[in-house]
Amino acid sequence: MPKEEAKKTQYDAESIKVLGGLDAVRKRPAMYIGSTGPMGLHHLVYEVVDNSIDEALAGYCKNVDVKIHTDCSVTVIDDGRGIPTEMHAQKKKPAVEVVLTELHAGGKFENKAYRVSGGLHGVGVTVVNFLSEWLEVEIKRGGKVYQQRYEGGKAAEPLKVVGKTQKTGTRITFKPDKKIFETVDFSFDTLSQRLRELAFLNPGVNITIEDERTDKKHEFQYKGGITQFVEHLNKNKTPIHPKIIYISGEKEGIQMEIAMQWNDGYSENTFSYANNINTIEGGTHLVGFKSALTRTINSYASANNLLKDLKEGLQGEDVREGLTAVISIKLPNPQFEGQTKTKLGNSEVEGYVKTILNEKLSAFLEENPSVGKKIVGKAADGARAREAARKAKELIRRKGALDSSSLPGKLADCQESNPALSEIFIVEGDSAGGSAKQGRDRRFQAILPLRGKILNVEKARFDKMLSNEEIRTVITALGCGIGKEEFDPTKLRYHKIIIMTDADVDGSHIRTLLLTFFYRQMTPLVEGGYLYIAQPPLFKVKRGKVEKYIKDDTAMEDFILDAAVEGLSLKPKGAKTEIKGQNLFNLLKNAARLQGILKRFEKRRREGEIIAAFAMEDSFSADTLKKAKAVNNLLEDIKTYIKTFHPDIMPVEFSTDDDSEHDCLTIKAVSKKNGAKVETTIDWDLVHSPEFQELRAIGKELKSVGEAPFVLKTDGEEKEELKIKTIKTFKELINHILELGKKGLYLQRYKGLGEMNPGQLWETTMDTEKRTLLQVKVEDAVEADDIFTKLMGDEVEPRREFIERHALEVAYLDI
Amino acid sequence: MKVKCPICNKESEWEGNPFRPFCSEKCSLIDLGKWADEKYSVEGEKAKEDEGEEKE
Repeated sequence: MPKEEAKKTQYDAESIKVLGGLDAVRKRPAMYIGSTGPMGLHHLVYEVVDNSIDEALAGYCKNVDVKIHTDCSVTVIDDGRGIPTEMHAQKKKPAVEVVLTELHAGGKFENKAYRVSGGLHGVGVTVVNFLSEWLEVEIKRGGKVYQQRYEGGKAAEPLKVVGKTQKTGTRITFKPDKKIFETVDFSFDTLSQRLRELAFLNPGVNITIEDERTDKKHEFQYKGGITQFVEHLNKNKTPIHPKIIYISGEKEGIQMEIAMQWNDGYSENTFSYANNINTIEGGTHLVGFKSALTRTINSYASANNLLKDLKEGLQGEDVREGLTAVISIKLPNPQFEGQTKTKLGNSEVEGYVKTILNEKLSAFLEENPSVGKKIVGKAADGARAREAARKAKELIRRKGALDSSSLPGKLADCQESNPALSEIFIVEGDSAGGSAKQGRDRRFQAILPLRGKILNVEKARFDKMLSNEEIRTVITALGCGIGKEEFDPTKLRYHKIIIMTDADVDGSHIRTLLLTFFYRQMTPLVEGGYLYIAQPPLFKVKRGKVEKYIKDDTAMEDFILDAAVEGLSLKPKGAKTEIKGQNLFNLLKNAARLQGILKRFEKRRREGEIIAAFAMEDSFSADTLKKAKAVNNLLEDIKTYIKTFHPDIMPVEFSTDDDSEHDCLTIKAVSKKNGAKVETTIDWDLVHSPEFQELRAIGKELKSVGEAPFVLKTDGEEKEELKIKTIKTFKELINHILELGKKGLYLQRYKGLGEMNPGQLWETTMDTEKRTLLQVKVEDAVEADDIFTKLMGDEVEPRREFIERHALEVAYLDI
Repeated sequence: MKVKCPICNKESEWEGNPFRPFCSEKCSLIDLGKWADEKYSVEGEKAKEDEGEEKE
């Protein structure tokens, strides 16, 4: 018996067990190689290469070379032991001939010759031979070189010795049969991909491929095995931990290897192999891997208290987000199941993989806590994202959200059914909504009142938000759905969506929220120009019996000045003619603009009058700063000017500094304002700022009018002493005239839409004949998103800065 | 035009990106989930009557 045993572990004619001959392969090729398309065609090469790899796995082969010839035949060469050439006892033929002509014959059916082997369907080269026009085999074995040719799957000649050699190996060249395959055109890329995969899975084997049709060549050898495979798969990604985790083990003759690394992406990229076969349908090894991975990471996370806010723990999909992993199992008796026979069925494998992974991954995480934390952090993000996605889906799916036949009760729809002629006002607040409903033209205007939900944060602050209910109401009213699958802008029920909110902070917050929502989730509506912002007036003014609505501060200023210039004339020092009417109006507008800019400097804690003094000085330019002498002369003039016209900010101390970056001087002025020290810097940056340039331009125009002091004459019924006034500065001038203009003016500032009655709301804001609408552009929406991000963000600093910046832009006209 | 994804901050192309302004469907869905879950709010003004109490 021991003798026989020893004999069988050799790879010779005896170890080829014949399971029976079948010659129906050509009739039903798909049964054996999957298909007669490109997949099946390439499969022929894999079958031959798999034999070589089996020799490599058994430790006898180091090099495998594949060549695609110009006639579309393929050669596979290895330096293994060579297919046995001895006579097969049963068949009375050389073993190689049995292997090539008898189905289910081969060394793989006895585990003793090959402990593990691949070969997808276990049909091997026999099928390759059967489906080839011709096949030639050359074997170097036992000091001799053998050759044999097959045609149509049958031996065309007996096996013959053609020479001598010290080497061993097998060379098979075959030409797939055109009558069988839909195409016989091999793809270099497809073959390369599989050969690269084999090189990763079998470290040390050198695999080359050469395409004689194009002279393309590849050589694959990866000493790092599947670790290098993972590196290759992640090469265009950003890993969250630098070192690839590698785990290997063996149990009951089953070898397993796992390599894995997480990247910052979301997709999972797991490849599993059993005996080099890509188990696309998975199987027991993959099941074991997944379940052990989830369990191990969860228990590590909870042992280290890393999942504070997640009650449900991490699910498999969370843990595998951004994971790239390769699992390779080598086992003696693989059972393949599934439609394409690419699902590993060996049930014992699952438990083995679990045990090994559990034990070794736990140890790894304990030893590498920083990596462990990153992996858990990533998975926790995934869990939160999953939760958010679930809620989004609920929002989409919930009945009514997409069904416009059940319009929300709050919506007062219009009669018009053509969307192009219809508009919807999204109105903040119920009372304003009520006014809008009464004031609208119901033929084509719909009203949707919206009340931003108020959130009481720690009893100290009331934050604004849109409730789930309100968002759904908006989606339903618009009728165009939401989410990738449901959103359809062609179903939009109104081609003008008009956001109408109060002119206060809360109103602007609601508007920002809405704009952000539209920008992010209904982007095409913004791009299509469907979104508008209503422009309700800020003021109502009354003079005598005339009532007027005024939309903003600038318009208000115009209104006041317009009223003031009536009957007013101005005479600069030494001038012969008086300025009045439109000219005076323009002059005052400029003076007001000048004051506006100075106010802004003052908000930034600089002395506006000092900056104005520089701006108005003709001899001053950016070049002046380059000459110390010129600066000194200039400062004298400026001091005199300030002493004369603005004694209130005296004393002013000037000093200079070097600005080496711009090779010039920087002037610093320290003055007093309401008893506090104010520092004003006149430097290169300021002189080049648009504001300073504008000051200069306005200054030039104002000076062209004439010089102070000005004599202002009023003809009217006012008291005698008011009729003539001498005025020293433009500031004084504009303030005085605004005072005049405001006389007899009854002014109401609208803080909320609710302060207007339905008639007023219609007249000022909704009437298509009179209203102005602001169309929202993508850029506006981007800005709204930016504002939103800052207003809600956790970063306090940008938010504070932002609020300050915008506070500066509040117009100066404070009435 | 390139935009920063509001969720993950990754820069992505605006043109031809079906998930704009997001980088991916996933980020877009996370955002929608946050709206649905009332996770977005903007800071309102301080409650006036409570200011005095705060100092106490």
